[in-house]
Amino acid sequence: MGLTRRDFLKASAAAAAFAATGAAVLKPKLVEAADSGIKWGKAPCRFCGTGCGVLVGVKDGRIVATKGDPAAPVNRGLNCIKGYFLSKILYGKDRLTKPLIRKGDKMVEASWEEAMTLIAGKFKEAIEKHGPDSVAIYGSGQWTVFEGYAASKLFKGGIGTNNVEPNARLCMASAVTGFMTTFASDEPMGVYDDLDIGDTYFLWGANMAECHPVLFSRMIDNRLKNPNVKIIDFGTRRTRTSQMADQYIKFAPQTDLALLNAIAHVIVKEKLYDENFIKKHVVFKKGKTNIGNGLEDKFKFADDPKPMTFDEYKDFLKEYTPEYASRLSGVPAEKIVEMARLYADKKRKVNSLWTMGFNQHTRGTWVNNLVYNVHLLTGKICRPGENPMSLTGQPSACGTAREVGTFTHRLPADMVVTNPEHRAIAAKIWGIDVKKIPEKPTYNAIEMFRALDRGDIKVVWTQVTNPFQSLPNLNRFRKGARKGDGRFVIVSDMYPTKSTEVADVILPSASWVEKEGVFGNAERRTQQWYKMVEPPGEARNDLTQTIDLARRLGHGNLFPYKYVEKEIWEEYRQFTVGGKDLAPYEAYTKARGLRWPVVNGKETLYRYAEGYDPYVKAGEGIKFYKNKKDDGRAVIWARPYEPAAEAPDKSYPFWLCTGRVLEHWHTGTMTGRVPELKRAYPAAVCEMHPDDAKKLGIKNLQKVKISSRRGTIILPVDLNGRGKAEKGNIFVAFFDETKLINELCIDAYCPISGEPDYKKCAVKVEKA
Amino acid sequence: MPISGIVLTCLAAKVDDVALRLAAFDGVEVHGVMPDGQIVAVVEADTVQGEVDIVSQLHDVEDVITVRLAYHNFEDV
Ligand code: SF4
Repeated sequence: MGLTRRDFLKASAAAAAFAATGAAVLKPKLVEAADSGIKWGKAPCRFCGTGCGVLVGVKDGRIVATKGDPAAPVNRGLNCIKGYFLSKILYGKDRLTKPLIRKGDKMVEASWEEAMTLIAGKFKEAIEKHGPDSVAIYGSGQWTVFEGYAASKLFKGGIGTNNVEPNARLCMASAVTGFMTTFASDEPMGVYDDLDIGDTYFLWGANMAECHPVLFSRMIDNRLKNPNVKIIDFGTRRTRTSQMADQYIKFAPQTDLALLNAIAHVIVKEKLYDENFIKKHVVFKKGKTNIGNGLEDKFKFADDPKPMTFDEYKDFLKEYTPEYASRLSGVPAEKIVEMARLYADKKRKVNSLWTMGFNQHTRGTWVNNLVYNVHLLTGKICRPGENPMSLTGQPSACGTAREVGTFTHRLPADMVVTNPEHRAIAAKIWGIDVKKIPEKPTYNAIEMFRALDRGDIKVVWTQVTNPFQSLPNLNRFRKGARKGDGRFVIVSDMYPTKSTEVADVILPSASWVEKEGVFGNAERRTQQWYKMVEPPGEARNDLTQTIDLARRLGHGNLFPYKYVEKEIWEEYRQFTVGGKDLAPYEAYTKARGLRWPVVNGKETLYRYAEGYDPYVKAGEGIKFYKNKKDDGRAVIWARPYEPAAEAPDKSYPFWLCTGRVLEHWHTGTMTGRVPELKRAYPAAVCEMHPDDAKKLGIKNLQKVKISSRRGTIILPVDLNGRGKAEKGNIFVAFFDETKLINELCIDAYCPISGEPDYKKCAVKVEKA
Repeated sequence: MPISGIVLTCLAAKVDDVALRLAAFDGVEVHGVMPDGQIVAVVEADTVQGEVDIVSQLHDVEDVITVRLAYHNFEDV
């Protein structure tokens, strides 16, 4: 019997898997045969911020296969289970293929011309009547670099408003302000290689096994080879990650602030710190305290940093005894001492990793500062295998939102609108009058949608994101969007979502390999891909949509490009010279990503470290050269424990925490389209501790009514779920668009970062 | 029918036991067992849904630590 195509495909599947394990490929001839007719191209994964490399196989204009990219250093030929759905996300049955315009309660098909004329008219009208700050764009960490750059240039440099925000405000903003306040430069010093070569990993509020599976696997592979590796999971919920950690340490929500100070307390008291490192590389500061929670509209905050001495910092730490932190957190005092010693162990290469548990926090900036404190005290930073690293949720939260700077206060490459020199640099590159760029930031994401509700913002355009599912205190914002009175909401997306429901115009967008793009992942790796298939129907690239609006508003001169993507890249690159240096476009078309700064064609593994970072001179060892005002030193901050914005009480006795699960990604608009994923995790459930359920007389899978001061939702209780809530806590994932858990969440945010706290509010649970 | 190539990891000492457990699944063919704890398998099912069901179950097989996807072909789906 001859070999069938099926045999070839099987051989190909096995060969790819063998290659990823490092074994030689068997039967190469069969593999070749399987590949016949398939054209392969490289792209980063569309889902999480890990930024795995994927090879996309196209045949007759359709994606027919995907492979983990063996040449990609991030994932070395292997993807996580979401890899099964990468290509299918493009082929959901209800893809948007035509612009839709609201006519009363109906959305009616329209031509692009009609839709864009209407949109441009609304923009012009609002700007004329209410000024440029009455229009806004809200994008995301899924914007390609080009899309984010074009939006920022049009709004800041053309229309003349700082009303530009990304959904990254909801997930990464505290990491940004943490980096900025401690090191005066955004983005990490370390790289994913630390997962392979370190030996001690502290996870804080991070369910890596489900949310960053490939990175988690790298760390686990390391432990399989090196029995010395220890993984400590600090969390408020027992997860798949906790199961595989060497220790799971549960703590009461918000008390991470006290725990990290207590760890520093022990390190100082037992003199476990690196005196030399501190003398050479660190200054101490304190800022304002009792800084509020951003609950009032138009909340404003400015910190007032004051220098302090090491001794004054030691005094500040005095109250954070292990016993005090233990009373607050529930972690035994001896455990805190043990962890402090582990952090400081001179023989160990120590890493801290965190995601939303730290960042979505009313003191998110502080808790980022506090984890850096521990690394700076012990000198375990900027060295191969020992670094703190914030992990990202979206594929280009770093590359676009943070590096291009699509925030109200930012300009590209760490620059800010409040700095006249920075505005001058931007104006020069953009070829505009510097007066065009307003010097005052306007609204962070929450304030932007509060402004829409009040009517201060009239026109808002959202691209590649789903704010009317993902914002906290959602009822207010969903109602606000439909209040009329000149309000006009434009939503660009590939599928109908909770946001298209409230839109006045829906624009169908191209996605992922239906367009050319660049994403930047959490280790400063910038990755490029080419367009490989056509978008369906009349769907268009968001970049084209933004530039179309620019032309209609008379700002076409800002976008004079022929090869748009490449020319935008080369223009954007000018912002990065001498700091976040990016390479010429060509370099990325070949490489499996490069980690900036890329100087003389060489990427950088460890920032601020001699021998790695081209900006650190010979003999300097480590130099935090970005922090010029502190003489190239990093800042250890005295940041106290302060309670959450809303804590459980008699009427609302439980903590509610929201988050993600392996099978779904964010609001589920892509993964929810894939029937297989829906089945694996079809609907949101309420994770609860069995003892709490027993007290309330609730049985497994029974329906409960969960209410906060802002909303109510009915869900089945899951006592045997993959995640296990601790006593007094419940957990609900936010992907399910039929159960909008975010209606219950509080819109309190970190005053410094503006990032809301989705991990803590008070709810009650009753039998439904 | 979609076909995928996957790599599972487990403790080196458990690799043979795990390979046996995997072989008991319909639609899973074990192609290679590495002494360092890696296992190469090919998964086939009538639909992608079927594949994912299998792979989700593999996650829960005793001693399996990670399951990753190397190759996925769905040209005739
Ligand atoms: S870990 Fe993230 S980037 Fe990698 S394959 Fe999974 S979803 Fe994609």
